[in-house]
Amino acid sequence: MSEVAHTAAYRRGVIGRTFGHLLDNERVFGYVLVAPAIAYIVLLVGYPFAIALWFTVSNATVSQPIGPFTGLDNLKIVLADDIFRRALLNTFIFTIASQVLQMILGTTLAFLLLRKFRGRRIIRGLIIVPFTIPIAIGVMAWTWMFNPTYSVINWLGIHAGLFTEGPNWLGEEIPAMISIIVVNVWRNLPFNAIVLTAGISSVPQEIIEAANLDGANFITRWRKIMVPIIAPILFIALLFSLVFTFTDMTVVWLMTRGNPINSTHVIASYAFVTGVISGGLGRGATISLFLFPAMLVGALALLRSLKARTLD
Amino acid sequence: MTAVRTLPRRATHSAAYRRRKLRNEILFWFVLSLFVIFAIFPVYWMFITTFKQVNDLYNLDNNPLFFNMAPTLDQVKYLFESTDFVVWVRNTAEVGLAVVAITIVICVPAAYALARHSFPGSGALGIGIFLTYLVPPTLLFLPLSQIVAGLGLNDTRWSLALVYPTFTIPFCTWLLMGFFKQVPREITEAARVDGCSRLGAMFRIVLPVSVPGILTIVIFAFTLVMQEYVYALTFVSSSQEKMVTLGVVTNLIRGDVFFWGSLMAGALIVSLPVAFVYNFFMDTFVKGITGGALK
Repeated sequence: MSEVAHTAAYRRGVIGRTFGHLLDNERVFGYVLVAPAIAYIVLLVGYPFAIALWFTVSNATVSQPIGPFTGLDNLKIVLADDIFRRALLNTFIFTIASQVLQMILGTTLAFLLLRKFRGRRIIRGLIIVPFTIPIAIGVMAWTWMFNPTYSVINWLGIHAGLFTEGPNWLGEEIPAMISIIVVNVWRNLPFNAIVLTAGISSVPQEIIEAANLDGANFITRWRKIMVPIIAPILFIALLFSLVFTFTDMTVVWLMTRGNPINSTHVIASYAFVTGVISGGLGRGATISLFLFPAMLVGALALLRSLKARTLD
Repeated sequence: MTAVRTLPRRATHSAAYRRRKLRNEILFWFVLSLFVIFAIFPVYWMFITTFKQVNDLYNLDNNPLFFNMAPTLDQVKYLFESTDFVVWVRNTAEVGLAVVAITIVICVPAAYALARHSFPGSGALGIGIFLTYLVPPTLLFLPLSQIVAGLGLNDTRWSLALVYPTFTIPFCTWLLMGFFKQVPREITEAARVDGCSRLGAMFRIVLPVSVPGILTIVIFAFTLVMQEYVYALTFVSSSQEKMVTLGVVTNLIRGDVFFWGSLMAGALIVSLPVAFVYNFFMDTFVKGITGGALK
């Protein structure tokens, strides 16, 4: 009989209270709030990654996305492919060369920016510009500066007496590789420099003064004080910049399309050509998968450094 | 004259010291100028190309660094009147707003729970979400292109609205966690004692004081969307559906002919606002990416 007495409104109230009560439980509350984020990542990062793994062992193409299982055939074909091997080598060359240059120039720039001088904010603002404008846009500006006929860089070089006829920057192998490295450095230098300035200025002034009183010279100060204190920050910055440079295809794709004669491809741009332009999903995904170890190493290193910091 | 002479003398440095100081000063500004020129020359180049007359731009006898003929707005006009530039800007605004909305709805609760509550696995989840920021588009663009096609979003801008949160969510959640952690625990505890529910404490106490943090992630979500290129290139090919960055770098090349003037005009118009806004948030970006290692 009592069931009849429960009106719809009463039942809604009970459900509401129970739900509200449940939600006030710390665990339930936490999981409910995090769930959408996890769901999004699982559906649009985890699931595609699983498909990518399936692609690598199947003969999937754009016209036939669920291709037959082919085992390691894709991997064998890719490893035997000269263009791919060149792309793999290039990826390392571009990443390491840009990173070394960025570190050297970034440290120099960081020290310059640490000085208090008039107009420092404006100068800093100008220095950051390459990192802030969309990468594809910046690369196009450089492509125009490297234009075979109207290259402003060659015009400057010729008028400064550096050479009589400039190289065809994007049309010859070595100049093209140099151009790609220059643009990578141009793009990421501000990030490195800003992280370094932030790191260096976070070193307590008292420690440096104490070291000065003890007669520590610049090199000692740098090695014994600066580096240990800013190392964790530098390390994370380095990691992101390594992973992003290693996996990028924008610079190469917009500047050279991997040419001349496929000599400047990187893993990512070659995966794009194979998977999207030629429609070979299986082989393209196999090439892309070579980016995974870099990402994994990055993730593990990041994890370790984060853990070390929370233990402090 | 006598008064001047009685003033205490300023400490004078030796001539050698002053020379060295001057030399350092000159060297400092010289090296700094080289860095500044390297950083902004491409932007200057966009600017000068945008406003040059075609006959000036493609005349090899001219000094390319300056205007040799009167500046013109022809290239900008061409961009607005003869290309889909306006459509691309509108698409970018639409997709940007959609991504911002999705990001906020998903990030705010997640970051709140991860920053202010501890439950089994909360630490690992927080780091796990952040780590997905390292997943590069070039690893997932092939399977995602199939998923997008399966959902019937092939060659539409909405495919991008769906996919872009995969990188805005990790970054923004991480950033927001930092903001939420700064709100003192005592004030939510006081509210709880007064009978406020957990959800109530979030909406009535913490969110109102975290508005600057939420605005920051809005800016980041939007600029990350404007900067993206790989997914845009892979999923979208019709001009009517393109985002502004992709449109500018693909549609102003017809076959082998580059419309450099208009291309650089588009580049300039896209870069300036992003560069300007981003400049204010660079420190926050660095802080976010280094995981709050800096104070």
